Amino acid sequence: MAEHKLLLAHTDDPQHKTVAGYVANGGYRAWRKVLTSMTRDEVITEVKASGLRGRGGAGFPTGLKWSFVPKDSPKPRYLVCNADESEPGTCKDRVLLECDPQAVIEGMAIAAFSIGSHLAFNYIRGEFDYPIEVFEKAVEDAYDNGHLGKNIYGTGYDLDVVTHTGGGAYICGEETALLQSLAGHRGMSQMKPPFPAVEGLYGCPTVVNNVETLAVVPHLINNGGEWYKTFGTEKSAGTKLFSLTGHINSPGNYELEMGTSLRYLIEEMGGGIPEGRKIKAIIPGGASCPFMTADQIDTPLDYEAIADAGSMLGSGACIILDERTDIVWATYKLIKFFKHESCGKCTPCREGTKWLTQLVERILNGEGEESDIDKIDNICHNILGRTICPLGDAAAMPVISVIQRFRQDFVDRIKAKDVLPMEQFSFN
Amino acid sequence: MSDTATKDQKTTPAVEMVSLTIDGRPISVKKGATVLDACRQENIPVPTFCWHPKLRSVGACRMCYVEIEKFPKLMVSCATEAMNDMVVLTDSEKCREGRKAIIEFILLDHPLDCPTCDKGGECDLQDNAFEYGLSDDTRFAFRKARKIRDKNSTFDDLQIGPEMVRNQNRCILCYKCVRANEEAFGEYDIGAYQRGHNTEIDAAPGGQVASLYSGNLVEICPVGALTSSDWRYKIRVWNTQTVPSIDPYHADGANLTLWKDATKVHRATSRMNDDTDDGWISDIARYGYQIATSERRIKAPLVNKNGAMVEVSWEEALGVISRRFKEVKESQGAPCLAGVVSPNLDLKTLHAFNKLFRGALGSNNVDYRSDYSNLPTDADSTYGFMASRSFSIDAVASSDVIFVVGSNLIREHPNVHLKTRRAIFEKLSWLYTANPIVTKSADCSTDEMIYNLGTDEVFLNGVTLSLIQQGLADKEVDTGKIETLLIPNTLEKCAETCGVSVERINECAKRLANSKSPTLIAGELVSNSIARENIAKSFYNVALLLGIVQGKRGQAAVLAKAANSKGAEALGLFPEISATQTATLKNQFQSFPELAGANWDAMLSGAQGEDIKAMLIFGANPVQTGADYNHIKKSLESLDFLVVADLKETPTTALADVVLPLSSFAEYDGSFTNLEGRTQDFCAGMKRIGASLPGYEALNRIAQSLGFSLYADLSSLQDEVSELLDSYNAPERKHFLMESHFQAPPAPQENSLPLFAGDALHHFGHWTEMCHSLLEFNPEAALEISADLASRLDIQTGDSVRVLCDRGDKGNKGEKLILKALVSDILEGDTLLASHNFAAKPVNCFTSRDSRVSYVRIEKIEKQ
Ligand SMILES: Cc1cc2nc3c(=O)[nH]c(=O)nc-3n(C[C@H](O)[C@H](O)[C@H](O)COP(=O)(O)O)c2cc1C
Ligand code: SF4
Ligand code: FES
Repeated sequence: MAEHKLLLAHTDDPQHKTVAGYVANGGYRAWRKVLTSMTRDEVITEVKASGLRGRGGAGFPTGLKWSFVPKDSPKPRYLVCNADESEPGTCKDRVLLECDPQAVIEGMAIAAFSIGSHLAFNYIRGEFDYPIEVFEKAVEDAYDNGHLGKNIYGTGYDLDVVTHTGGGAYICGEETALLQSLAGHRGMSQMKPPFPAVEGLYGCPTVVNNVETLAVVPHLINNGGEWYKTFGTEKSAGTKLFSLTGHINSPGNYELEMGTSLRYLIEEMGGGIPEGRKIKAIIPGGASCPFMTADQIDTPLDYEAIADAGSMLGSGACIILDERTDIVWATYKLIKFFKHESCGKCTPCREGTKWLTQLVERILNGEGEESDIDKIDNICHNILGRTICPLGDAAAMPVISVIQRFRQDFVDRIKAKDVLPMEQFSFN
Repeated sequence: MSDTATKDQKTTPAVEMVSLTIDGRPISVKKGATVLDACRQENIPVPTFCWHPKLRSVGACRMCYVEIEKFPKLMVSCATEAMNDMVVLTDSEKCREGRKAIIEFILLDHPLDCPTCDKGGECDLQDNAFEYGLSDDTRFAFRKARKIRDKNSTFDDLQIGPEMVRNQNRCILCYKCVRANEEAFGEYDIGAYQRGHNTEIDAAPGGQVASLYSGNLVEICPVGALTSSDWRYKIRVWNTQTVPSIDPYHADGANLTLWKDATKVHRATSRMNDDTDDGWISDIARYGYQIATSERRIKAPLVNKNGAMVEVSWEEALGVISRRFKEVKESQGAPCLAGVVSPNLDLKTLHAFNKLFRGALGSNNVDYRSDYSNLPTDADSTYGFMASRSFSIDAVASSDVIFVVGSNLIREHPNVHLKTRRAIFEKLSWLYTANPIVTKSADCSTDEMIYNLGTDEVFLNGVTLSLIQQGLADKEVDTGKIETLLIPNTLEKCAETCGVSVERINECAKRLANSKSPTLIAGELVSNSIARENIAKSFYNVALLLGIVQGKRGQAAVLAKAANSKGAEALGLFPEISATQTATLKNQFQSFPELAGANWDAMLSGAQGEDIKAMLIFGANPVQTGADYNHIKKSLESLDFLVVADLKETPTTALADVVLPLSSFAEYDGSFTNLEGRTQDFCAGMKRIGASLPGYEALNRIAQSLGFSLYADLSSLQDEVSELLDSYNAPERKHFLMESHFQAPPAPQENSLPLFAGDALHHFGHWTEMCHSLLEFNPEAALEISADLASRLDIQTGDSVRVLCDRGDKGNKGEKLILKALVSDILEGDTLLASHNFAAKPVNCFTSRDSRVSYVRIEKIEKQ
């Protein structure tokens, strides 16, 4: 298994952004096929057959999620594209929005049709100035060419797409918080159930999907679900975008077949570690995933294998930390991020992230005590599984893994009692 | 009258139950209940912070953890639905450990200022920390974060509302205040700002937390983060005792608890009663107890001696009263005596009043409706019929369609208003409001229909005609002669006259007709209108065509306004009582006057003529709150002798020969009958102020001075009250469509603006002026004006505005007052609202007894 460009096939073609360019490359065939010859159930069946799993982080089977929308509800339904991409290390959705916005629109349209929605939103991260501009232009273009709007392709189906920009909160990528924010409320996550598919935006059935998930959908319709399954592993079908960052020679977004090894990503695609240094730790799926160690480099990149290795595939943001990295400092950066982004609704996440930050900072400042290590671990366990949304888990899991796998680094740091200037440890 | 109102008779389907095991006990709860509900049902203690019985669970604090078999994680019981065969542990090692971690998290930055915190002694955090947080050693190593008021200050406390102080350090971010404000009250004046650990609870930018329900936010705050300016540092809660009480102002009958020590009452809080209030009370009910402790109370009887009011003993005052009453009675006859009583007084007082006049003095001239003019004179008026319909406040919350006409609901019935909101948010019910002015209900109405001033019955006739035209009227009602009964008599003409389109009337009528359990409410803009009888007939017609008055479904009523209006109706404190009431009273009073009595209107004109010579006004203040200041004042000045009993000096006591001091509801035991006919008891919370007496005792003293006795002991008086309430039956009648003819009011003069006089948002009647907390919200008589009109006239909140009466050549022409403008974010158009709650500004000088709408001109007074 190796690189396979499905989603990134046309990133070098500037015309691909426009409807004309996109159609020239085979775009909007799927949308037309769906509207003219398929039923909602047939679309869902095709997506289910493909084995496509959500690319936003949780890996939930996409077709199954769509089928949860009640068929008999008198309420309107909504489709929401989650383009709030804010997880440190993740930058894959951005590339799709910038280089292949029409595919995202086509995917949104097909998903909306499958749940009987006539209004779809794209919730884009507020800082994404350029992607927002490109996407809005693309939507306009799609309207102008009759792919959106009233009575599309003369089939009587109406669909509107609205772009909404976020206010710069990581939590608004979490689907329930996103829907709160979209409805004009404070972006705070909500207890599930009720799940958005039953009671989402404005209390109506809503499906939230990641940009990458939606961009895959036209391919499934054009080539069939079974075709998609020919890529990847049995349980993790298809290809996946990986954002490779950190101590690596060629950082970037790479599209690999699921199941390709981590080593392939790092060595073949990323060109290895600068100056041939050794790897100290790998965060395979974004800042919220447990750290992996250098000896796990041959783990295949699929949901199951990474989980077996004690981490998560997450959003596919692979961060490489080389041997020079101060792990305590890296932990501090992570936990500080989660503290800053906690929405403040539930106690363990709000207070726990703050306390952890204080403790790790104290160690960094050479004032830590050895008992702090167990205290940190214990606080993490008081957060893990005890919060409303997975942000709490996201904060706790990497820290727990660090304490487990790099405990000695903490002990050494505390014993040395040295205060190292922070600038020394910036990524290069 | 039964003491509980008739609920609408819906056949409740068998409730589906769920069986589970909690701490080894088999438990069965209604399907849909949470695990926490199940625990509470069985009195199994589970600690909570963010849960509230009347709000949606959000699972924020995570204190209510329980362990559930087959669930790997601890579950928050407040947001986990109870399922069949669940096995729940509420006190396992794992639960306690989970809760301890939460307490530890909360205490991380929580100040340990319990000794100086007002919540101490009734703080959920203190209690839960005691139960779950104890450990030998602390793991805290850092200084507590401190959030100060602002960068330039060292104070923690921030005044965020007229009666609300916030200390962010103590806030545990349970979000109950914000949630209750939005969910239960539909208010957005408090919010959460910043994020995560820096989150702050604060008033909306540039504003204050000042809604009618603001006190509830303080009450539900589990810690001392929100405290009330009124209660802060007054007394430690463990040095108080509580007694049950009732909202003494509104007819809703919200339940209160009074907190007292040996000397006085210190605060009032809610006392959850789902039937009336769901545990939410208006600020008026909350701070209204301050009438008991106000410095402005009259403490001794006053007698007019050569033009000056002089404090005297009860004996001396009673001597004057008995001498003058006897003189008048002997020289002019008993029918020259008249009595007016306030419906905000308790049942025993109302009955004693009736007994004094009818039984002892021999006069049928009694009335409790001195706020209103143009009262019906026949016993079977349609207004009286619609006002006496049975009504359930709680049934409003389960109504599928609610129709409110002529009511500024939030001001008249703060608790009914909240029930309408519940119906909308829990049952997705439809709310149709029809008013001549925009009200707070607009923000949750399906359709807010604003009809032209003075066309109330035309709008209602439009609904009637629409029901008939659409074939939606009850089939058993004869609608044959409808064209001859109504003027105007076509839907189109009605729509044109009232200004609400045919389509909107049709839509509303259709929704009403399809409703299973409609609630129809008419309010004060109907009962206060001089066309009330006509409007009531139109209202009746709608209720008839929907099958409501025949008892087929739903409920419809003109709602009683004051805490005991319904009691006054049942006890017969008005001249036009029914034959049954007369019979019971005759039996109780031994002697009973034959001559029909004068109602309030007739008393006033009688006083200006030769018919009424002496009057006793009890707790009422018509010179301030009745329609037409000049007319009432002139009438009372024409009397030979006037006695006024009240809590405070008023424009009415100013005209009296003798003034008697009354005790407030917090100083004696009594009961009120609320608008549903529900009789609820309240208890004394403190000693009577000065020489003041509860009404019934004062009346008995008057009776004794005249040689009568109203009761041997209080229980005999109470028995008579109970007999009357039990035997009271609302009038019945044959059902047929009523005639309702509309007469267009004369066109107003140019440049004049319509004005309604009534209660300010945070006041009720003339007593609340004594409550310092309520004065923080509305300190003086205001002229409420729409933003649009204000900008056209270049008027801003706080500007002084001269208001001039504009009534052609009639009575009050030339009256003027200077009022403070209050630009309203609710009102629209040109209509003005003036508050009648302040003795210094008798805004009723602009209202009249003979025209439906009062018009004024206004001028901004430029600052010098
Ligand atoms: C704290 C947090 C942040 C998240 N941020 C994102 C995000 O930026 N983009 C995204 O697609 N999903 C994000 N998710 C996942 C979403 O909640 C949701 O699972 C996803 O959008 C579903 O789409 P999918 O099924 O296509 O993966 C986040 C989840 C959490 C808990
Ligand atoms: S102020 Fe009180 S009620 Fe509001 S969030 Fe804080 S603790 Fe809860
Ligand atoms: S009471 Fe259940 S989470 Fe707060």
